[in-house]
Amino acid sequence: MKDLNKNSRPRKKVYIVISSIILFCILQISLNGFAESTAQSANINTFWIWRFIGRLHPLAVHFPVALIVLATFLEFFTLRNFNSSLRPGIKILIGIGAILACTSAIMGLLLSKEGGYEKDLVSIHQWLGIVTACLACITWIVLNSLLKKTNLQLIKVYRLLLLFSGLGIMVAGHFGAALTHGKDYLSSTLPWSQDYDGSTKSNFDLSALKNDTTKLTKQQAIELNIQVRAILAHNCYKCHGAEKIKGDLRLDRRDMIFKGGENGPVIVPGDLTASELYRRIILPSSDKDAMPSKGKKLAEGDIAIIKFWIQKGAPWPDSSEKNIFRVAELAPRNPALPPIVNGLANPIDRWTSQYFIKNNIAWPKLVDDKTFFKRVSLDIIGLLPNPEELEKFTKDTRPNKRALWIKKLLDQQDDYTTHWLSFWNDALRNDYTGTGYITGGRHNITDWLYTSLKSNKPYDQFVKELISPNESSKGFIEGIKWRGVVNASQRTEMQAAQNVAQIFLGLNLKCASCHNSFISDWKLSDAYAFANIFADSSLEINRCDKPTGKYTGTRMLWKELGTIDSAAPRKVRQAQLATMMVQASNGRFYRTLVNRLWAQLMGRGLIEPVDVMDNEPWNQDLLDWMAFHFQENKSDIKELLYLITSSATYQLPSVGFRDANKIIAQQYQFTGMLRKRMTAEQFADAAATTIGPLFSDSMLMYHPAYSKTLSPNHPAFARAALVSNNPFLIALGRPTRETVATSRESQANLLQALELTNGERFNSMIRKGAQTWKLKYVTTDRIIKEIYVRALGREVQLSEYQIAKKLLGDQPTNESIEDLFWAILLLPEFQIIY
Amino acid sequence: MSTHWDRREFLKKSSAASMAALAAGAPLAGFLAGCNEAKIKSTADTVILLWMAGGMAHTDTFDPKRYTPFTKGMQANDVLSTFKSVPTALDDIYFSEGLSAIGKVLDKGTVIRSYVAADMGHILHSRHQYHWHTCYKPPQSVLAPHIGSWISNQLGPVNKVIPAFIDIGQRFTLGEGEELKAFHTAGFLGNEFGPFVIPDPSAGLESVKPPIGMNMTRFEKRNQLYNELMSKSPIGEMGSDYQKESMRRSMEQAYMLLKSPEAAAFDLSKEPKESYDIYNTGKFGLGCLMAKRLTEKGARFISVTTEYEPFKNWDTHDNGHTRLADMKKQIDGPIAQLIKDLDQSGHLDRTLIILASEFSRDMMVEGRPDLKVQEQVDQPDIIHELKNYGMHRHFTDGCSMLMFGGGIKKGNVYGKTADERPCKTIEKPIKIDQIHQTIYHALGIPQDTHYLVEKRPFYTTPDGLGKAAMDLFS
Repeated sequence: MKDLNKNSRPRKKVYIVISSIILFCILQISLNGFAESTAQSANINTFWIWRFIGRLHPLAVHFPVALIVLATFLEFFTLRNFNSSLRPGIKILIGIGAILACTSAIMGLLLSKEGGYEKDLVSIHQWLGIVTACLACITWIVLNSLLKKTNLQLIKVYRLLLLFSGLGIMVAGHFGAALTHGKDYLSSTLPWSQDYDGSTKSNFDLSALKNDTTKLTKQQAIELNIQVRAILAHNCYKCHGAEKIKGDLRLDRRDMIFKGGENGPVIVPGDLTASELYRRIILPSSDKDAMPSKGKKLAEGDIAIIKFWIQKGAPWPDSSEKNIFRVAELAPRNPALPPIVNGLANPIDRWTSQYFIKNNIAWPKLVDDKTFFKRVSLDIIGLLPNPEELEKFTKDTRPNKRALWIKKLLDQQDDYTTHWLSFWNDALRNDYTGTGYITGGRHNITDWLYTSLKSNKPYDQFVKELISPNESSKGFIEGIKWRGVVNASQRTEMQAAQNVAQIFLGLNLKCASCHNSFISDWKLSDAYAFANIFADSSLEINRCDKPTGKYTGTRMLWKELGTIDSAAPRKVRQAQLATMMVQASNGRFYRTLVNRLWAQLMGRGLIEPVDVMDNEPWNQDLLDWMAFHFQENKSDIKELLYLITSSATYQLPSVGFRDANKIIAQQYQFTGMLRKRMTAEQFADAAATTIGPLFSDSMLMYHPAYSKTLSPNHPAFARAALVSNNPFLIALGRPTRETVATSRESQANLLQALELTNGERFNSMIRKGAQTWKLKYVTTDRIIKEIYVRALGREVQLSEYQIAKKLLGDQPTNESIEDLFWAILLLPEFQIIY
Repeated sequence: MSTHWDRREFLKKSSAASMAALAAGAPLAGFLAGCNEAKIKSTADTVILLWMAGGMAHTDTFDPKRYTPFTKGMQANDVLSTFKSVPTALDDIYFSEGLSAIGKVLDKGTVIRSYVAADMGHILHSRHQYHWHTCYKPPQSVLAPHIGSWISNQLGPVNKVIPAFIDIGQRFTLGEGEELKAFHTAGFLGNEFGPFVIPDPSAGLESVKPPIGMNMTRFEKRNQLYNELMSKSPIGEMGSDYQKESMRRSMEQAYMLLKSPEAAAFDLSKEPKESYDIYNTGKFGLGCLMAKRLTEKGARFISVTTEYEPFKNWDTHDNGHTRLADMKKQIDGPIAQLIKDLDQSGHLDRTLIILASEFSRDMMVEGRPDLKVQEQVDQPDIIHELKNYGMHRHFTDGCSMLMFGGGIKKGNVYGKTADERPCKTIEKPIKIDQIHQTIYHALGIPQDTHYLVEKRPFYTTPDGLGKAAMDLFS
């Protein structure tokens, strides 16, 4: 009997194992069936205790992993002696491990029913887990029978089983981790991974990455939050926003989103599976619970961002909505000037001195006469000084000669106007050709603009005439009308609202003209109320191009600035707005212009980007002071240009950056003008004054009513600002002016280099120039000396002379002169304003 | 005018910054890559767009219907096709007469018969072309990039001396030229990714060789002079800056391109006469030849167009039948040859060729059946003259496209239009964002590719919602 009993025990265990495997399968099938029959509502309807137990899986699995791996490890120490003293311990480890593996597997099955995981991964993990649990049980049974009767063959089988259990549980664990943390959780940090971000290495170590509780910095949290809100705005606000609140859920405000909807919270920070919002956005669009219910399913990348955001605790920095976005003061401010240091009396220099002292910067020596004159001439009239003038300037001995010559340049009215015309054409998107003209949907304002700049029209008056236009300036506010149906956010009234806000107030309304903005506090209704000023009849609010049937009043963006009479005709409303915009209390309006002009002259605005006036300036006092006094000083643009260019601050040596990104970095520190690359127009005009015109007079699109001599010292030629856009100018960066452009590209590129290397326009100009020069200057010596003086404003150096001489020989040919011209015009020294 | 630092640089920065900021604290970039389609396995390296500018009637090209020959006094409403149908390489699939050469290679590609163009009220060709090429309806508050610019921006050139985005055959000095320019641009991505324009393929070499009248020796000498003088320029002492670096780098690139042997790919006279003659049906045919030569040397995105000029080429407001006979002669041989040649040289596998037009045409229906647009061509109900025999109205509800190579199914017909008027799409309608994403998908560019412009995400397809039509792939 005893023997029989002994034999039957292991058999019983085999039965237990077999029956538990069958049980697994039944459970698995029944759960599947259950899930299918009740569709997706299963998640909500599953008895809470099952869900509770299921969610213990991630916790529970760690025990069998540890126990079985440890058992496998210890087994190695028993290789020599199976009956080592470790044996009883190993037996216990395997026993408990096997039981816990089975329990975990069941919990895992329960958890998988909640969904939200990648299906393929789940099924791999699931079956590996079940198989491993079974293996562990069998291992335990075999071990038990071995302990009763040693059998060398069976020991091998047992050890193999244990090894597989150990490996199996590790692999299953790996897939489990991949489910929780994402497939690339570890591999993405490897240096050879495509996703590896070297920068993370320096300020972050791998162990911290593994740690799920890693906190985002405030800045990161803000960025992530903005990303999330962008996604919500584009996909969800339509039904869950201020106007429509389906299911009692609003996703456009912090308090509302966390409050949740009629069925309770939709986001549980840090808990993906409990976050209803996440569950719904990952459902297939065929599911009745899927969100967005009306729009298309969210892009994978967007889902990933929301997933990450929730996992990171759904950060939404600062309890107050307002604090997320910096909002600049609207009112003007007149800070008291700091004392004069070292005799630098120009108000700008007094601010700079204060800034330099504060930041421990010593005043550098100011630039020499030649550098200064080339710089200021290009900045004010857009032309290279010619050698005669340059010489007069350098020989001038008056102590205040720089100020006097600035005045002289500002008085060259047509040169000045032609240069600044390009800046304003870009900003007001005025051009001689372009879309819209074909069907009469666009009007040119060049004549008005030219006359206004030439007469130095006060800036307030200038803007008034653009917003409340006459026949010659209406092109700006009327915008570009394309034939056919256009997106609601691009109708001409909305274009006017966007452009007025961008150009004159440094405010981006483009987001808010489609939906409540997520990069500022501006709302859709604000944009429409503002656009209504320019509309003949009140505009129906469209959200993301869908009519809402709603209307809003007519309002200025800031109520502090006054009210618009909704009932008045459009002309009256625009006149009201014009007056309101330019009033002294609209400090932002004047700061915006001052900042733009500062950026034109200094290569970088006090605030960057120049279109985002809510950003922080590197010197608030300086900006405020200049804006205040500009307004007080009759909004005189030339006066402002004079004030800046005559300051020592403007005359500091230029600063070059190897990395363009550093220029807009938050920790930017001012030490002098940023090096600027000539614009397309400056380059074309500089080439023209040095060698010969690029454009014929017949290409002029606008003939200013002045004598053909531009200035006493420059021969007449068609300046690039006055010809229609063409491949040469496009390649060099003149924008198409279909949209507002407030800065130019400053980096060269291949298409540009090709245009300069073999472009017909540029090379034929050089060919003609070489012929003229050969007749005029004849000898190699004169040609070399002249080209250096004319193009670069300096004497040729001996080393340069020798190189050029080698090419030209004693009898210069047309071809060799051409090549010399080409090489000189392409030198960075020629193209960059130092 | 002050030059600012490069806007592209700024864009890169701001988009990278938001991600980098997160990456610094958490593995968002890697994490995202794991979840989105960043690891699409590409099936193509090169894209050739054969652009049938002006509106190519589907029933007279790749989706023929019942043929009604011209007779004086015929009922206009009876006419669905003005050409006979001819067989293709596929059983029971027919093309319109004059396209049999392309038909014979249909076993190497897919004909899409269910493209539905956008509905934008008034028909303006350039506006629909803008929409086709950028995936956005004009106007936009920021400059939308051409699909070629997106691709150039995302993938760069295949062969670094061949510009990544080459546009062959379109002049911008014709009617609606300004509107055409508005979408032949890299927009906010920056000029670097703009099209390298070759208006006339027979003069293509001019674009990539030293200036007229300059031999290679002199060209090299000139470049050497430039480098020597640059090294002696005292400005060098002032240290380096990014503008100067970019100038030096781009000049070097231009020099490399102009003197590289690959530049010969632009030189059609180097093509054996036999082959040249097959392609030489005019500007478009030679454009196809150049596309072939460039693809073989490593191009990224090439557009070859029959050229848009109001009331010319495919823009048939009258004489539709006679004009189409002529257009087909221009395209049939070269396109078929292009496919055969690339197939033979083994490039077709990794080259996606697309033939498309901004919309189709119909004799009676303007716009789409249920939504009549304003202004349409006069079409008499009874046709007395040959000039009224043809598809003269703009039709947006069912258009044909072709796709070859680059992982696209071979010998496949996608979608269907009705056999009676209105011959509109009745099966598997496909729209522009799907077409774009299908192209991006073939190139391995994920759906959520975007740039932050003024802090707003601007996606390759509107809101990043364009889905690749996966059943177009084999």
